[in-house]
Amino acid sequence: MRPQLAHSADAVEAFGSTETSESLAEMSNAKERKHAKKMRNQPTNVTLASGFRAERGGKHHFGAGRPFQSQKQELHSGTSQQWQNKMSPHLLPESDGNEQSSSKIMFKKKGGWKAGPEGTSQEIPKYITASTFAQARAAEISAMLKAVAQKSSNSLVFQTLPRHMRRRAMSHNVKRLPRRLQELAKKEAEKAAHQKKELSKNKCHKARRCHINRTLEFNRRQKKNIWLETHIWHAKRFHMVKRWGYCLGERPTSKSHRACYRAMTNLCLLQDLSYYCCLELMGKEEEILKALSQMCSTDTGLTFAAVHCLSGKRQGSLVLYRANKYPREALGPVTFIWKPKKTPGDTSEDRQLWIWLHPTLKLAVLEEMKTVCQCSEPASSSVSVPDPLPTPDQEESQPELADDNIGKKRKRKDDAEGAKRTKRTLGDGTRDPCQPRSWVSLPTGIVISDLTMEMNRFRLIGPLSHCILTSALRAAPLHTGEEDAEETPHPWWSDTCKGSDGVVLHQRQEAVFQLLGGVSSPAEIPAGTILGLTVRDPRTNLPPQRSRALPHPEIHQASEFSCEEGMCTGSWSCALWKPLSDHTDDPDNEQVRQLLLEGVPVECAHSFIWSRDICRSVTESKISDQDLNRMRSELLVPGSQLVLGPHESKIPVLLIQQPGKVTGEDRLGWGSGWDVLLPKGWGMAFWIPFIYRGARVGGLKETMVHSQYRRSPNIPGDFPDCLAGVLFAEDQAKDLLESYKRRPPAKRPNYVKLGTLAPFCCPWEQLTQDWESRVQAQEASPITSVPGAQDNARQLAVPCVPEETCQSNEADMSENHPTEPEVTGCQAQAGAEMVLEHSASENHAAAASHQLCVLRSRKLLKQLSAWCGPSSEAGRAPCSGQPELTRKAYLSILDDFPRALVWVSLSLLRKGSPEPRAMICVPSKEDLLQLSQDPCYHGPRESRHSDPFKSLILKEKEKKKMEKRQSREHAASTGLAAGVPTAEQEARIRGLWSGPLPGLTSHCSRVLLGFVTQGDFSMAVGCGEALGFVSVAGLLEMLSSQPAATRGLVLLRPPGSLQYRFARIAIEV
Amino acid sequence: MRCRGQRHPVGSAGEPHASERAPAESMAENREPRGAIEAELDPVEYTLRKRLPHRLPRRPNDIYVNMKTDFKAQLARCQKLLDGGSRGHNACAEIYIHGLGLAINRAINIALQLQAGSFGSLQVAANTSTVELVDELEPETDSREPLTRIRNNSAIHIRVFRVTPK
Repeated sequence: MRPQLAHSADAVEAFGSTETSESLAEMSNAKERKHAKKMRNQPTNVTLASGFRAERGGKHHFGAGRPFQSQKQELHSGTSQQWQNKMSPHLLPESDGNEQSSSKIMFKKKGGWKAGPEGTSQEIPKYITASTFAQARAAEISAMLKAVAQKSSNSLVFQTLPRHMRRRAMSHNVKRLPRRLQELAKKEAEKAAHQKKELSKNKCHKARRCHINRTLEFNRRQKKNIWLETHIWHAKRFHMVKRWGYCLGERPTSKSHRACYRAMTNLCLLQDLSYYCCLELMGKEEEILKALSQMCSTDTGLTFAAVHCLSGKRQGSLVLYRANKYPREALGPVTFIWKPKKTPGDTSEDRQLWIWLHPTLKLAVLEEMKTVCQCSEPASSSVSVPDPLPTPDQEESQPELADDNIGKKRKRKDDAEGAKRTKRTLGDGTRDPCQPRSWVSLPTGIVISDLTMEMNRFRLIGPLSHCILTSALRAAPLHTGEEDAEETPHPWWSDTCKGSDGVVLHQRQEAVFQLLGGVSSPAEIPAGTILGLTVRDPRTNLPPQRSRALPHPEIHQASEFSCEEGMCTGSWSCALWKPLSDHTDDPDNEQVRQLLLEGVPVECAHSFIWSRDICRSVTESKISDQDLNRMRSELLVPGSQLVLGPHESKIPVLLIQQPGKVTGEDRLGWGSGWDVLLPKGWGMAFWIPFIYRGARVGGLKETMVHSQYRRSPNIPGDFPDCLAGVLFAEDQAKDLLESYKRRPPAKRPNYVKLGTLAPFCCPWEQLTQDWESRVQAQEASPITSVPGAQDNARQLAVPCVPEETCQSNEADMSENHPTEPEVTGCQAQAGAEMVLEHSASENHAAAASHQLCVLRSRKLLKQLSAWCGPSSEAGRAPCSGQPELTRKAYLSILDDFPRALVWVSLSLLRKGSPEPRAMICVPSKEDLLQLSQDPCYHGPRESRHSDPFKSLILKEKEKKKMEKRQSREHAASTGLAAGVPTAEQEARIRGLWSGPLPGLTSHCSRVLLGFVTQGDFSMAVGCGEALGFVSVAGLLEMLSSQPAATRGLVLLRPPGSLQYRFARIAIEV
Repeated sequence: MRCRGQRHPVGSAGEPHASERAPAESMAENREPRGAIEAELDPVEYTLRKRLPHRLPRRPNDIYVNMKTDFKAQLARCQKLLDGGSRGHNACAEIYIHGLGLAINRAINIALQLQAGSFGSLQVAANTSTVELVDELEPETDSREPLTRIRNNSAIHIRVFRVTPK
């Protein structure tokens, strides 16, 4: 046993050496071969075969008792002896016998410790030559050190640190690294510095970061697209997009889709909506109402004249139309607020109306409003004597003043910059800056002014918005008498405080505002409630750290719980458990109750933000962040509250409640919140305090999600009857087409084969036309009222597309399609882009007679909504008081709205998550039958269509090649020949329908009803949800042909799929 | 115990919220004859919009029962609260099950199921109350003011607590 052991140790030693090919051949052990391979690249004098050695040692150890193992060992040892003889001179060429033995012994010792306990004898060396032993070890150690010091990866030092140890700007500042790595990093940095290209020498880094230079640079950058006041904050955290003349944050760079949804549902989401435009109308109430009544209709609900809105108590919302053009030619949705009638110190008859709207709608609305109010001429200074309106002169001065106070970005030095800056601060990308900002009408006396970017608008969504508001905003302290003597920067406020009316009003507003803290959700307050307030500078009571403002049950409920015995403290729900007598004398409860029922009293809706002078002075008198921070640093007790006394700014704000989801049955009040209006210049001063109270910030994407979960149309995408909506759709289609073309044809869906005619846009115009002609044809046919015959009627009812029938099978399809493009395709060389433009231009052009419109009449919507319901007539009809769905009833609707669309929401029955531009189709009878029979049935499949264009494209390519060859042969006019084919190349795109679209509705096996505009998996409901438009004619026909039990079931099919899914349609009013 | 009546506005609002995932309260409340309201009001002039019940902060051991979530899931949720984590820590000694309107039935059902499945270690104690609900009447014509009405609905609050079995 002893020699074996020694041999094995030798063998190990031999193995560690680089030459192992021979031993490999002998061993035929895969594991060992692998090991040898691993060790091949080791330095020759380091033989770290520990793992292998241990294994061998283990073998010796465990295999001792077993005969076959020992045999193996013998074999092994035998071979190893041979290797040793061969290898050892190679391994240590310069060593003599002694050395060899010593190293052998060492290994034996190491390898043998496993064998030791077994009791086998272990040879202890008689002597070791210290010098040679140490030499050998030293060589090994140095090799090891060298291997360790060598960095194998290609990364920099700071990149190898674990994530939690990384710090910002580590690559620039060596000292941010842990000290042990600083040496290495310094070396690396030096190396990198050589490789870096020279920076421009005209300005060093410090000079570039200098305030003035930065300001100039920032000003230059926002020339084209205006920055909001929170731009720099957003730019650090958001993906920014240039849209509508502004730079807006699209979505956070962090992964936060679900977090933002949670913030909307349970916490608070903050959005900067300062890009929304505000139009102001001033004049006599009757005049304004008379003028504006042409632009809206009482059919669609409340108008500008609604009593509660007119008093200034609530915010109203409506859809504007071109004057007297209802129901066609919509301009877009707006919200509006009237200034309350009776305000202290205001005796004039003039009313003030603010209309808030999306920037895309502004141009059209402003134009229309000017014509309606007959405001043609720009306001001159003579007109604006009673209320100082911005004349061109003032316009110049106003932004300057504002700039100096907004300060950080817009300070300027030279006058040459002045003109540009004026343009910028006026802050409106949708309008020519040279144009005046207000217009006056001589006959009516109405003054329209454009207040875009004059105010900030922040939106807080979610139940915690009350807590955030009440903790971030504090009502301004009143000025006492003696302070008035000294110079205050806020004369308007001391004036207000002198009058007792103003003081009382302020105190009432403050009281109401404090009550809000006790209301746990904004949805409990009447929709559109307006509350005016004058607040302190929110920067003074900024918490030292970001935290989450939470409701304080003990504050609002302290009186109730004081007498509670024992267990149930801390939750309001336990207030239920104690006698009523405790609560009755609590004045707070009575007030909260009043607030919930009645809303905020009219007087409290007043705010000084309505007065432009005061706003301007507030903007001017803002203490800059720098000064404030300096004052804070000079405080005697660091971290204590900064007391500015009378110099503290007082900011008038306006809080507007935004109702969440009000329609429908479920999730009522979801997404409700508050809008905060601030004078300009104060954006960041309020933004940071809100965030420090735990608000999460969302961008444009979150706006989309918000509107989708509220099931409300998104502006401007979901207004196909507005010009803005059409333009938006065009832009979107162009973008989608671009990204489609970037992929190779084999790696993108072939929409022709999928039967998707318009994958990038929704051709509403053509859809409604098709349905109109279908219905007309049906009326013409004699068999109508029998429901069974309607399928036949449907087949007949396609005069514009005679070839195709809705129930055509694949054979029909394949036969039909090749014929059509040959007719059309030759003339239409413009391709799919043309198609998109075609439909859009149709929208522009066909303004005159039959134009597409969206059904917004509340009466009809209610009727449709009742008809869409799946329940039997017995339950539904008496409840809603709606007429039965009869042929007569629906034809009468169609007479009024032959080409109408209606906004519907769809929730998927079983599987599937819808996408934007998915097709809404009518299920066939068999589908419904199968659905009722098979619980696992998810929907029919569209059969694959044939692609007639593929061969055409190939042919064209061939032709082009031929031409090219010919032209090359001619070789005379090469330039001309090269120009032509490139133009033609644009004509057809593989996988898209080229030429004008054939009959939309009957292109696929199921009849097309409409398109989805927003659709996704809904986290709120837990299944797929979609929103979109369907043709009214189609919807009515579908409903009348469906049996009552399954009424309202439709099929959805995404543009990139053949699979239909069942969904239930609903119209929410 | 007296019910919380009309005079107690804030504390009275113990509306059974749904679980956080599906806060759909509206279906559980108000089984009063709806026709009664609509008889007084012309539907042409007003639209009825039910507002959410006053929402209250909740402790971890409050469970608001609704009619939308599956019964079994709600029962399991209560059971889980009572049992605690994997080794029985975080177990609540008592939970409160709240039900409003239509959901009263279900709340009682859940509480009794819990009791029946506990082999005598759980006891129940019920309280009832009245919750004020606000209905908003939105005008359809410009000349009318929006109205609000208060409607009362019954609620039940069941305390399910552990007793040491004898």
